[in-house]
Amino acid sequence: MDYIMHLSVLVGVYAILGLSLNLVVGYSGLLSLAHAAFYGVGAYGSAILMKDFGFSFLSAVVLSVLITMAVGVLIGLVLSKFDGDYYALASLGFSVIAFGVFLNWRDLTNGAFGIFGIPKPEIFGYKFLAGEPYAFLVLLAVIFTFLICYFVVNSSFGRVLKAIREDEKALQVFGYKTTLYKLAVFVISAGLAGFAGTLYGSYISFIDPGGFDDLVSVNLIVVVILGGLASLNGSLLGAAFFVLLPELLRFVGMPDSITGQMRQMIYGLGLIALMMYRPQGILGKFRL
Amino acid sequence: MIKRSAAPLYLFEYMFDIFPQLVVNSLIAGSIYALLAVSFNFIFSATRFFNLAHGSFAVIAAYAVFYFGRELGLPTFLAVGIGVLFAATSAILIDRFIFHPLKMRGGSPMILLVASLGVFTVINSIISMIFGSSFKTISNTIDKQYFELFGAAFTSVQLWIFILSLVVSIGFFIILEKTIFGKVVAAVSDDEEVSKIVGIDTDKVMAKVFFIGGGIAGLGGILAGFDTGVQPSLDMFFLLKAVIAAIIGGIGNPYGALLGAYLIGFLENFGIWVIPSEWKDTIAFVLLIVFLIFRPSGILKRK
Repeated sequence: MDYIMHLSVLVGVYAILGLSLNLVVGYSGLLSLAHAAFYGVGAYGSAILMKDFGFSFLSAVVLSVLITMAVGVLIGLVLSKFDGDYYALASLGFSVIAFGVFLNWRDLTNGAFGIFGIPKPEIFGYKFLAGEPYAFLVLLAVIFTFLICYFVVNSSFGRVLKAIREDEKALQVFGYKTTLYKLAVFVISAGLAGFAGTLYGSYISFIDPGGFDDLVSVNLIVVVILGGLASLNGSLLGAAFFVLLPELLRFVGMPDSITGQMRQMIYGLGLIALMMYRPQGILGKFRL
Repeated sequence: MIKRSAAPLYLFEYMFDIFPQLVVNSLIAGSIYALLAVSFNFIFSATRFFNLAHGSFAVIAAYAVFYFGRELGLPTFLAVGIGVLFAATSAILIDRFIFHPLKMRGGSPMILLVASLGVFTVINSIISMIFGSSFKTISNTIDKQYFELFGAAFTSVQLWIFILSLVVSIGFFIILEKTIFGKVVAAVSDDEEVSKIVGIDTDKVMAKVFFIGGGIAGLGGILAGFDTGVQPSLDMFFLLKAVIAAIIGGIGNPYGALLGAYLIGFLENFGIWVIPSEWKDTIAFVLLIVFLIFRPSGILKRK
């Protein structure tokens, strides 16, 4: 049972990451490979606030989400100059730069050793330990994220985003400040990724730079595309598939040592096959 | 590591002492980046999409050398030849079975980019499964000699890196400028449809482009492997250096890629005068973003 709860927490964290990234990739049509950076900023932010500055869980979460959003504004402003494949490359650049910061700003992040002993969340005196309580907390977080994304996507704001994705020039002619819209959704997405980071850090209680490198960004893109571009349910599916696939492989008798690599391979092959036969992803509504 | 709070005079002398060594280090790094960037740029010019599996060609070659040179004990030059051939062949196969069909289906550059991300992931996982993800040295089959020039130390391997990279780059430029093949590639890069109409077999040209591009990238990977060793995760490192050098040099211009590669080599190594050395890898990205913002066309114009 504990094991199922453990997997549920991980699925939840990836679901939040997938949902938030889909806002940028699926609904705005911008292939962002910077998501691991925000995930990491959130995780490091709350870990440092709680451990070094004695913040409570809730205030640390709020503050580190705000920090992540501030970083999102800065990166988003730079990225707003690009689109298409240059956007992908530039955003990948930010993933690598963020990794460099996590690894080398030793006074703050403890470098390659990472941060140990991140406290478990305590809200109004109740401590969320691993197992059912934490899974419940993450479930609430996923519902919260889903509602935000649902609202963003189905509001007039979301409709403008989809219109920009289809024809940015036309929207500019109508007087929409398209850059502002893209920046806003990017910052919302960044904040939610930071939120996922805070939940992950408190759950695992240990973070190091390797958990937030450029490969994580690549994996998240796969989660979003595989599940389906511009489909919130698709992102939930993609996240579940991502976390549960290694377990499935273990279940059919594959040795533990290669399940991680096997997952990578199946993911890569899946991505290639999707690009060939279904570029919008399994439940997707938009093709790149 | 230098403490920046040290007395300026001491720092000045120190800078003077390490200057020749930094030049040598920059040239070696630049030579490796040059092979990767020139070949990346070559494939990009012909296909018009960012092939994120480019660094994987280099890693394939380096591991082929590890297997044939170290495990099977073949002579070094033979192992290098096999390695280059492996990279070139895998590049051609990936184009034939993945990129080419995707283009036939009318895939946009974005679709091709995402598919190449898939190729990247698959190659990385296969290599990790076969060889493990730990670091491997491949150079201990050769006797390294040590040289010194103006107070800068370097090995025979590093001398080879510099010479081979230069020779291959120049040879490649001569092929591009002076042969019919070079002109055909230029025509296909310019407009694939029109080239087809005037009777160029563009599929064949693409296959050759991938073969040559993959081979040159492979050589880059092998030389880097001889210098420092190989690891599956180097694919991202190779790819990023190639992309950044090609973009800041001016994407689409082969000389730009060469220029960009050496520029990165020098900036990374001389950067440690002002920034601690562990930030070396980050410097190239900051450079990329600065260029993308202020001069997206790169240093040299597209040819």
